[in-house]
Amino acid sequence: MAGFFGEVSWFCCGNAWGPCGSTGHGACGTCNSGSLQHAWPNTSDACFAITRPDRCGDSMSRRGCGFRHFTTNRCTGQRVGTTIADCGPQTDLFCGERTCCGSACSTNRLIDLTPAAYSRIASLSTGLRPAFVDVV
Amino acid sequence: MDDTMNRRSLLTSAVLGSAATLVGATALGSLAPEAAFAGGTGAPPLPTGSKQDVEAGMRDPNFAEGRITGIRDTMLLVAGSDATLWRIRVTGGTSIWKLRPTTFDSAAVGDGLYARGVLLPDGTLAADSIWLNIVNLVVHVAALSRDTIHFDHRGNRIVGHVHHGTTAASYNGTPAVQDLSMVTVGRHAQVLGAWLPDTNEIDIATVYTTAG
Amino acid sequence: MQALLIAVVLLWSAQAKLRRPARPVAAYRALGAAETVVSVSLLWPSRIPALASSLLCAGFLLYLLYAHRRTPQASCGCLGAQSVPISMRSILRAGLLLTVSLSAVFWPVPVTAFGWAFGVVAVVAGLAAVVTLSPELDRHWLLPWRRTWARWTHPLSAPQAFDVPLDSTVQQLHHSPAFRQLASDLASDVREHWDADEWRILLYTIRSQGRTGTAVFAVPRLRYAPDAVRATVVDLV
Repeated sequence: MAGFFGEVSWFCCGNAWGPCGSTGHGACGTCNSGSLQHAWPNTSDACFAITRPDRCGDSMSRRGCGFRHFTTNRCTGQRVGTTIADCGPQTDLFCGERTCCGSACSTNRLIDLTPAAYSRIASLSTGLRPAFVDVV
Repeated sequence: MDDTMNRRSLLTSAVLGSAATLVGATALGSLAPEAAFAGGTGAPPLPTGSKQDVEAGMRDPNFAEGRITGIRDTMLLVAGSDATLWRIRVTGGTSIWKLRPTTFDSAAVGDGLYARGVLLPDGTLAADSIWLNIVNLVVHVAALSRDTIHFDHRGNRIVGHVHHGTTAASYNGTPAVQDLSMVTVGRHAQVLGAWLPDTNEIDIATVYTTAG
Repeated sequence: MQALLIAVVLLWSAQAKLRRPARPVAAYRALGAAETVVSVSLLWPSRIPALASSLLCAGFLLYLLYAHRRTPQASCGCLGAQSVPISMRSILRAGLLLTVSLSAVFWPVPVTAFGWAFGVVAVVAGLAAVVTLSPELDRHWLLPWRRTWARWTHPLSAPQAFDVPLDSTVQQLHHSPAFRQLASDLASDVREHWDADEWRILLYTIRSQGRTGTAVFAVPRLRYAPDAVRATVVDLV
């Protein structure tokens, strides 16, 4: 699979504090906010039926739990490797949304990182960043 | 207070390159990232990205998550959701976020915490960044009332408090503004905010949504 | 009167299951078919259909109580294909329908008992109560009402003078060449900020080659000009 451009955000998982208290450990049963993991919008048929990236014109390869991706923050060039631990983001809710850093822009939410992973490449207070995702 | 004002004046002058309060357009020099570490021997080369030191999928030892159980001098004692006990060391170089950039005094027992820093040999985490009670939720806007946005999050109701002067809205990916009038009932949104411990309420920092 | 109310609700529920099945399983379709049969039979002047609808409603109430406890995020699948988690409103609605069904068994009241007008008003009031307790139908009436109310009352209007939120300044900073040149060495989030005339000053901790300092950024506060962002690094924290 060739790399692609998209938006990256972050989410919490694991039975942690606040609204994460009831989220559980994600679709793969292993997700924790303190681990280098991510949510992918096409881990299964059931997942795809929720996230529907195709509605935004994006075709995402089917990848299972534990598959590794690398996400690069296009604003800073910083990169983090993570494994799939959950289903998400809900891509079709934000079709056409665009985030830029200078001339580097990305459209559509295609990956969500745990707080540990996101904070490696951006500040948690930013919420959303343009990114490049690949497998090598 | 005087020390703070003096320090801020010094830093302001340093970045703007002039002691004058009004800087003309012609005086706008190039930025000086090369003049790093004033008084040093020269600009250090910008380092390339380092190889990831933690394997993908594993717990990051330089990242702490949990709730504050105690505060001792400049140390935060944190109980992680996985039963890990953290000792987090806060220094002058640590940024602390609690709805907005703030100081160590804002931390309170019971606050939820994420922290990134460097794990020291004594087992403490020297924090570079601390985020207190920060949440990033995908929600639906259920209702609006005076200075309050009611959200539906996975079937649960979350009450979002608007703080004028701090709370901002970003519509359709455009730069954030203070005007919240285009937040629309029934729309989905992403909300970055600060959870109020042991409640279903948050203080709203930024709402990302589409304009009504 | 009660029979007519229950019949309308069961027919609505049945059509939602049979026309746009969110769960294309045989049991779900069979339930829709059963609701259709019971709703049509309720128009017959007999207590047996009311008894059947009572059993249906009792079974559904027990299912909702069980599902709400075991998997709260599960969709009700009650009156529509829209996925709506089981809530207290859904449970109260099922309880209301059970109560009305039982009253139709033990105290049936003809629609014309107190005149046609009263009968129609009573049935309509009952249907309104069912709609009010139906989260699946909120998007048809409750959300439009709330949108209209917000347009009238402007609950989020800010009484203070306009100011530029910090998040806007940070976004502009991230768009600037100055930030991108230093970003890979920044070790912290925004540590401190203040306004200095037309500028907003932001401090970050920066770490390079084992040394720690402070990156100072000056961002135009009242205009969008990322190229005008200025930066310096000082050897103090």
